Amino acid sequence: MSVVARARVQLLAGNVADQIAAGEVVERPASVVKELVENALDAGPQTVRVELEDGGKTLIRVSDDGAGMDREDARLALQRHATSKIRTAADLIGVATFGFRGEALPAIASVSRFELETCGDGDAATRIRVTGGRVESEAESVRQRGTTVTVRGLFYNTPARRKFLRATATETRAAVEALTVLALTRPDVAFALTSDGRGLLDCPPAARLIDRVGALWGAELAETLLAVSHRAGPLEVTGFAQRPAQARPAGRKGYVFVRGRPIRDPFILRAAEAGYRSTIAPGDRPSLLLFLELPGDAVDVNVHPTKLEARFRDKFFVEKVVEEAVREALAPLDSAAPLGGAGFQVSGAWFQTEGSAHAASGIPLDLFGARSLTPDTRHQTPLLQVFETYILFQADQGVAIVDQHSAHERVLYEDVMRQLSGDGAPAQRLLLPLTLDFAPAELDAIEAHRELLARIGYEIEPFSGRSIVVHTAPNPHPRFEAARCLQELVADLAGGRFGGWQNRLERFAATYACRAAIKAGQTLEADEMRQLIVRLLSATLPAHDVHGRPSMVQLPKEELERRFGRT
Amino acid sequence: MKFTITREQLQEGLAAVAAAIPAKTTLPVLANVLVEASKQGGGLRLSGTDLDIAVSTTVPAEVDADGAVTLPAKKLIDIARELPSGPVRVTAAGEARVSIESGRSKFKLLGLPREEFPSFPAVKFEKAWKAAAGVVHKLVGHVAFAASTEESRPILNGVLWELRPDRMRMVATNGHRLAKMDVPATGGSTADLIVPPKALEQIRRLYAGDAEIELAKSDNHIGFRAGGTLVYSRLIEGPYPNYEQVIPRENDKQATVDKAAMAAALRRMSVVASDQTHRIRLAFAGGNVKFSVQTPDLGEAQDELAVTYEGEPLEIGFNAMYLLEILKYMPTDEVRITFKAPERAATIEPVGWNDPASYMALVMPLRLVD
Ligand SMILES: Nc1ncnc2c1ncn2[C@@H]1O[C@H](COP(=O)(O)OP(=O)(O)O)[C@@H](O)[C@H]1O
Ligand SMILES: [Mg+2]
Repeated sequence: MSVVARARVQLLAGNVADQIAAGEVVERPASVVKELVENALDAGPQTVRVELEDGGKTLIRVSDDGAGMDREDARLALQRHATSKIRTAADLIGVATFGFRGEALPAIASVSRFELETCGDGDAATRIRVTGGRVESEAESVRQRGTTVTVRGLFYNTPARRKFLRATATETRAAVEALTVLALTRPDVAFALTSDGRGLLDCPPAARLIDRVGALWGAELAETLLAVSHRAGPLEVTGFAQRPAQARPAGRKGYVFVRGRPIRDPFILRAAEAGYRSTIAPGDRPSLLLFLELPGDAVDVNVHPTKLEARFRDKFFVEKVVEEAVREALAPLDSAAPLGGAGFQVSGAWFQTEGSAHAASGIPLDLFGARSLTPDTRHQTPLLQVFETYILFQADQGVAIVDQHSAHERVLYEDVMRQLSGDGAPAQRLLLPLTLDFAPAELDAIEAHRELLARIGYEIEPFSGRSIVVHTAPNPHPRFEAARCLQELVADLAGGRFGGWQNRLERFAATYACRAAIKAGQTLEADEMRQLIVRLLSATLPAHDVHGRPSMVQLPKEELERRFGRT
Repeated sequence: MKFTITREQLQEGLAAVAAAIPAKTTLPVLANVLVEASKQGGGLRLSGTDLDIAVSTTVPAEVDADGAVTLPAKKLIDIARELPSGPVRVTAAGEARVSIESGRSKFKLLGLPREEFPSFPAVKFEKAWKAAAGVVHKLVGHVAFAASTEESRPILNGVLWELRPDRMRMVATNGHRLAKMDVPATGGSTADLIVPPKALEQIRRLYAGDAEIELAKSDNHIGFRAGGTLVYSRLIEGPYPNYEQVIPRENDKQATVDKAAMAAALRRMSVVASDQTHRIRLAFAGGNVKFSVQTPDLGEAQDELAVTYEGEPLEIGFNAMYLLEILKYMPTDEVRITFKAPERAATIEPVGWNDPASYMALVMPLRLVD
């Protein structure tokens, strides 16, 4: 027998168990805000208000005008595993409410001075006070339909936890963030938050999600977002993805919602970012708001007490579809940034891209007359080159302004990607082979990329010492300078100047495209412009260049009408 | 300055220099035409330049007082066009205020002092070469198209003009294709000139076929003269690449084809060729050439043409635009194409050309992938 007395197994006293649960669910004021606002939203409110004092350390109050509770329910709600939201384990599958564990209220009440005031339809109002998990009083009170929960002195009875609370500003920020995330799930509900009497967040009810985004972060951010809407099998992805040219390295918003519930999933965000491949500058992080809808049995949200994780039945499928969804949002021509304060047009079918999601469907077909070499007498959309750099033309709902270099880069990049994985580019044999000198590091780079260089059209042979001979060269346009393009490309390869791009082929293609493309400042013949535009419009991502800049901006007709007072 | 000139003569003179005057320029005086009146010279000299090329011409006029001024070319041309037929009196009051009168029409134009106008290169015509304008036109008309348009090898932007005691030759290439023409000549001396195609175009435009052109060079300029009209141009510095070395001499396969039928087939193929490379494939065998083209994402096409072909069967790829362009300049209905191998230069020549000149073009193939 051991010296130590053997402890007997005992059921924990209820309030101890609540405090343990609180350890999981209630970490800081922000988690209280999250749980209470979720409860409010589950009650079908029109308005949810949050008040904080001292970052929530002194007081957190969440009020709603939802269904409320009668006296009996209010009493029950404070007991552990008491919930009105599910009855059987089967109900967990596809649960539509935020809550279902029945843990939050008793957990919060066990670590604070807690007050619940609630009134259901046609009932008398009830007020229950709980201190450290012990019911102090229960009384009739007077209030309108809805519920107010007030939490004072959070962690007053668990000093170890209270010690871990951060500065007021930090806790306030976290609480605002918790409310922001939930505000995104329900644009139809009004939200407000005050902190020590100051209003920090105020969102009126909105008909469209984009208006809620505008109310939370400003119209400026909202205008950089492209609508995402994509379905594959059982999964539907909607929401917003930021235009690549407007993404920045810092301060991005990245939110994922599954069946209306916010979750934290870095893999889904990463998959969405993969959709930006070839369109975004290294280091730039696009803002993303993605709403995934899929059948309840395809995902489990009951993974963690905070319900911030989801487990998908087929995670790889979900990631693949998310990537596709983002790519598809970037594809249409009207993903080009609009000029002027035209605001965000969710359905602004600027180029009328219905039908085929990509490209050309909405472009006046006569642009394509130039494809044949026989002179075409049909009327063609006029193209205008300005500043020897931009090409303007009229599209269905506005004026398209194309940057000739960026556009050509995009076209060449897609060509080259095909050539690198396929047959290789047609290479023009040279009557007068080029002999070029390179530095040792550059010669190494040539050696290492010999096969890729041949595929884009450069057949190279060592000559003597530091010289090489070029026997064939690509010939992408009449002003193409084969020697200079090769020298620049090799210098880039040797210098490893590729930012954070992952894929070697992509880096190579982008570098070549940049060096080979028509430059700004080159006068283009009418036919050349036409060919460039036709080819751009049949590219998969015509509105974005390969460095994270736009290849096109749109001047919507609406904007012109607004400016000339024609609306 | 004071002179009288017929409206027709003024127009003619202005038309000659107008093409040398740039439409857009950062140097305001270049938008002007230099007008010089000289009693001794017996008329009026009009000049214009874009700094690369200068054109100067004399027209008869009755000069009362010598003088020179520069006037906005566009305005002067418009005025000359709108005036009724008849004498035009031009008087310069002060340096840059010019009045123009004809009948009851009166204009006052503001010019710029002649000192601002660039001076012309010092080209001496004492020991000039002489050539019939018609011959020069023929050379330019068949060769200049092949010059390069990209700027990394400036030499290839020019046309090589070889003067030899017994012949004149022009050659142009962009490194992918080449054109060369020789014409017999007598009594000339030896020189190699690399001339911008723009200057050659001016010569074609300004000199009638039956005129005799004198040409002379200074260190880095060339001058042309015929009648009272002069053209000056910058020369491109050589040496020109050794093109003789790349003209194939051992092509052992040859096809004789109907130019129009070949061009038509090429145009049909081009419809589905890539806009970028215009790559098409030609397969010669027996009495046939088969054309084919395959462009990913677009489609494919085939065609066939009867030809006279001697040699082993051959498959070779070309940029259809290069072939079409060369065919356009071939002066005969039938042409001969010769080959060695799919990676070697092909030549194209006229068949049965009844002309003292000899002409050939050369085109490098595209790499074929199977
Ligand atoms: N704001 C509210 N309005 C109406 N009912 C509420 C509100 N907050 C809590 N409740 C009721 O209290 C119950 C317990 O809440 P909670 O402990 O958060 O568990 P859960 O949300 O997981 O059901 C809920 O199921 C709900 O019936
Ligand atoms: Mg809850």
